[in-house]
Amino acid sequence: MNDNAKIIETVPEFLAHAVALEDESAERYEMLADAMEVHHNDEVAELFRKLMQYSEDHAQEVQTLASDMTLPNIAPWDYNWNCPGSPENCDCFNDALDYQMTPYQALNLAIHNETRGRDFYAWVSRESPDPEVRRLAGEMASEEQEHVDLLQAMIANTDLSREAPLEDLDPPNTPDG
Amino acid sequence: MPTAIATEAAPAPRAKDYKSGIKPVWCPGCGHFGALSAVTKALAYLQLRREEVAMISGIGCSSRLPAYIDSYGFHGVHGRALAVASGLKAARPDLTVLVAGGDGDGFSIGGNHFLHACRRNMDMTYIVMDNEVYGMTKGQASPTTAPEWDRSKLTPYGTGVPSFRPTEIALAAGASFIARGFSGDPSGLTKLLVEAIEHRGFSFVHVLSPCPTFRPEQKEWKQKVHPCRMDTTSNAAEAARLIQGDDGRATGLLYVEDLPVWQPRNEGQADMAKIEAEFRV
Repeated sequence: MNDNAKIIETVPEFLAHAVALEDESAERYEMLADAMEVHHNDEVAELFRKLMQYSEDHAQEVQTLASDMTLPNIAPWDYNWNCPGSPENCDCFNDALDYQMTPYQALNLAIHNETRGRDFYAWVSRESPDPEVRRLAGEMASEEQEHVDLLQAMIANTDLSREAPLEDLDPPNTPDG
Repeated sequence: MPTAIATEAAPAPRAKDYKSGIKPVWCPGCGHFGALSAVTKALAYLQLRREEVAMISGIGCSSRLPAYIDSYGFHGVHGRALAVASGLKAARPDLTVLVAGGDGDGFSIGGNHFLHACRRNMDMTYIVMDNEVYGMTKGQASPTTAPEWDRSKLTPYGTGVPSFRPTEIALAAGASFIARGFSGDPSGLTKLLVEAIEHRGFSFVHVLSPCPTFRPEQKEWKQKVHPCRMDTTSNAAEAARLIQGDDGRATGLLYVEDLPVWQPRNEGQADMAKIEAEFRV
């Protein structure tokens, strides 16, 4: 975790972080799904769309928890993340991101993101001075761990090719002469 | 017409409310996704209504931005985004005018407009997503490409020409706000965009935005960008030393100064009947 990250002390502050984390996660998966769909990689597009739905559901759960309180309005650059952007949205230049990305690569990217999300919640559950924040963060860390386990099971239980995709005989990136 | 939001009765808009729903055609992993995200976050932070914003662009991958933002927009002619935007701002000073484009559109084809937009200092924000390549036309060297880059068949031995240095040129041409951001840090870029939009005058935001398709080596920018080592200055001489001494990867607000803003007075306009009489065929 970022040494400079400030400790989250109140429930509204924590829930504001959780809403932003899940919203940005959903936004990122939607962008990836759209990009894959545009590039006719329908299988991976569908997978990212499913992951987007998981994040939206999670965001909805957090918003329900926060429905009877006023959350602080935190500027996008003032969140206490340990990386540029929120934890589930920070690896934007992952080497696997390509129009030919395989479902295996996509699931690994998702595991990477969900693990960061889990680590963020786990850090809050360890460090916050407020017992209610620690309890809520602990619950969310467990949920994120369930996501990680689910994704790992998907990789283990399905017959996903770990090989690189076939050569594209008409690649979009052939420099013109 | 974009839908009105952020009225007293409506809830505060969130970043996603500024997205048009049109799917970007950018390559997966393109840096411009981060820039798009930062623009929507900045608009949400400033609580601007969609009908108060106009996004103007030229031609190129990054110039597709107006299609993806749910505000007024104009996807203009190559290199002429600033000319169109200046006309719009002159006629509609009430609008928040954002201009988006790439390094080829802004510094080559539109280079002349860039110089004069800087010195004119109209109140608008120019966001240049610089990936040091012409991506839409499949990977030719642009003005900001390093002279030794030899991956294009058009320049098999590199361009041999020193790179255009956007922040230096902007300063020399009289820009009153110069910043550099990184699309891989959307939160940091959002802060710069908010400051740029709030600045009164021409604000230039140079965004390092990797092209994973034609410049895959730019993924290393994630390790190379760093915060500017000096505080923001309003002294042009200090800014010149700062900008000339940097490695082109320093991010932050580099220079800001309160300079006179040019805005034509829209008084004494001719009425339409008089204009039509003059142009009768």
